[in-house]
Amino acid sequence: MAIRKQIYTWELQGDGGDGTDTTYYPRGGQSHSILYGDFGAVQAGKQTGLVKEDQFVVIEKIACTPGISANSYLVQGVAPNVNLVKWLPNMFVNIVIDTTNYYQDPQNVYGVGVSGTASSYPKEIEALPYYELWPPVYVLPHQTVDIRYTLYNDITLSAGAGVWNTIPTTTMLAAVYVEYTLYDGSDAMMAQKLMQLGIPITVGTVENYRRLLLENKGLETDTFNHYLKLMESERKREEKEMKTQGVARYMHYSSED
Amino acid sequence: MSLRRQCYEWRNISDGIKPSFLNGYPVNSVGDVNTTGFLANQPVDIFIGDIGNNIDIPGQLKAYQYIVLDSVAVFPPTLHAQIYVGTTKYFQDPDNVPSRDGGLDGFAIPFPNGATWTNSAGSNINLINTVFADGLKPALIIQPGQVWGVEVTSSVDVPTISNTATEQQIQKCFVKYLLIDGGDSIVAKRLLDAGWPLTVENVWKYKQDILKTHIYAGLAPLPTEVVKAKRKV
Repeated sequence: MAIRKQIYTWELQGDGGDGTDTTYYPRGGQSHSILYGDFGAVQAGKQTGLVKEDQFVVIEKIACTPGISANSYLVQGVAPNVNLVKWLPNMFVNIVIDTTNYYQDPQNVYGVGVSGTASSYPKEIEALPYYELWPPVYVLPHQTVDIRYTLYNDITLSAGAGVWNTIPTTTMLAAVYVEYTLYDGSDAMMAQKLMQLGIPITVGTVENYRRLLLENKGLETDTFNHYLKLMESERKREEKEMKTQGVARYMHYSSED
Repeated sequence: MSLRRQCYEWRNISDGIKPSFLNGYPVNSVGDVNTTGFLANQPVDIFIGDIGNNIDIPGQLKAYQYIVLDSVAVFPPTLHAQIYVGTTKYFQDPDNVPSRDGGLDGFAIPFPNGATWTNSAGSNINLINTVFADGLKPALIIQPGQVWGVEVTSSVDVPTISNTATEQQIQKCFVKYLLIDGGDSIVAKRLLDAGWPLTVENVWKYKQDILKTHIYAGLAPLPTEVVKAKRKV
C-alpha cells in the first residue's frame, strides 16, 4: 500500500443546544484548523499534519460547504421546539504549508482561500464542478500541512436572533473535504526523484518510473545511450593523450596503431 | 509554490456601515446581512470599486509574475463581467467598441456553475455554464507590470438591502486564474517568446527539457578550444 488515495473530511454538527455556546462553535472571521482546531470533528490526538521523511503528499482537491447568506437558513417545528435544519456558513478554506498560505489575493497578500460556493462539498446535483485545484499541491517530507477554514456567518450571534430553539446534533453546519494522494516508503523516494526532474507526480508517472527501474533501464534510454557514447569518446581521448605523453602501455595499442 | 491556482470572489455585501469592506469579508449573522446597491449600467470594479469586499490597490503584477486568467463568472444573470488589462477591455461588440452591456452576463457564465435562479415567473432554473465551461479559450495572459481587474455591470438597478439580504439577492463575481511567479515566470517568458500557450503542462514540459539538457551538459565533452588549450602547468 505504498500509493494510497486519501480523503479527510471535517464536520461541525449541532450540539443539541441553542447555538450560543462559544466553546463549541467557532466565531465568525476566525481561522481554525481542520486537523487540530478547537471545533468540530478534528483528529482525536489533535496532531499537526507533519509529512514524515518517508512520505510525499499531493493534495488534489479541497472543498467546503456552500452558501453565503445567513438569512437563508431553514428551520422546522413549532416554538419552543424550533430546530435549525439547514445553515449556510459562508466559509472559505485555505491550505497552509509550514508558514506559507497557498491562496493570496490580487495585491499579493494573504487571501482567505476558496469559498464553498466555488468548490462545494457535499456536491449537489445542480452544482457542477467549477473550481479545480490544478496544478495539485506537493507537500514534501518534513513539511507541515494544515487546512484552515474561516466561517463568516457567526452561529452564536445568529442564535441571539431567536429564530430557532435548538441546533440538533444531526444538523451539519459546516464541512471541509480534502482529497490527496499519499506516497510512502520507496514510492515517496520515487516521487522526490520525479520532482527533481520536473516531472509531474501522479500515480501513473510514479508507477512508470518504478517499472523502468525494475527493467533496469533507468528513467529513459536516451540519457543512458548518451552517457555510453560520451564515456566511449572520453576513453579514446584519454588513450590518445597517454600515447602522446608516452605513458601508454601495450594494452592501449591495437592493430590499427 | 510557483505555480498556483488562485481565485478571488466578490460580493456586494457590506458591514452595514460603509459601502465596502477592505481586505476580507464582513462577519454576518441572521438578521444582519447587508448589501450595497448600485445603479444599472454603472460599472463597478470588483477590486477597488468601493462596493462590497475590496482590496487596497488594483491587481498589478510584479516583475516576476504572470497571470493566466482562464475563468470569470457572475450571479445573478442580470450581472455582467468585463475583464480589463491596462486600458483595454476584453469583451467587445461587433463594431469593435467595448461591450456596451458590460461583458458577459450571468446566463452565459453563472456562478456557481449550476446556480439556482428564480425567474420573474417564479420558476427555479439551474443555470449551466456552456459558453465557457472550460474557461476562456485561449486564456488571457497578463504580463509583469500590467494592471488588471474585472468590472461588473448590472442591467437593472441593484437595491441596497439592510439586514435581510438572502442568497439570491447577493451579487457575486468569481475570477479564477493561474499565478506563475518566481523561477517559473522566466519559463513563462520563454514559452511566450516561442509562441507556446501558457499552461501548467507546458511549463512542466519546458522545465523537464531544461533539466534534461543540464544532465546532458554535465556529461558532454569539453569544447574543442578548451581541450586544445595550452596546458598552464
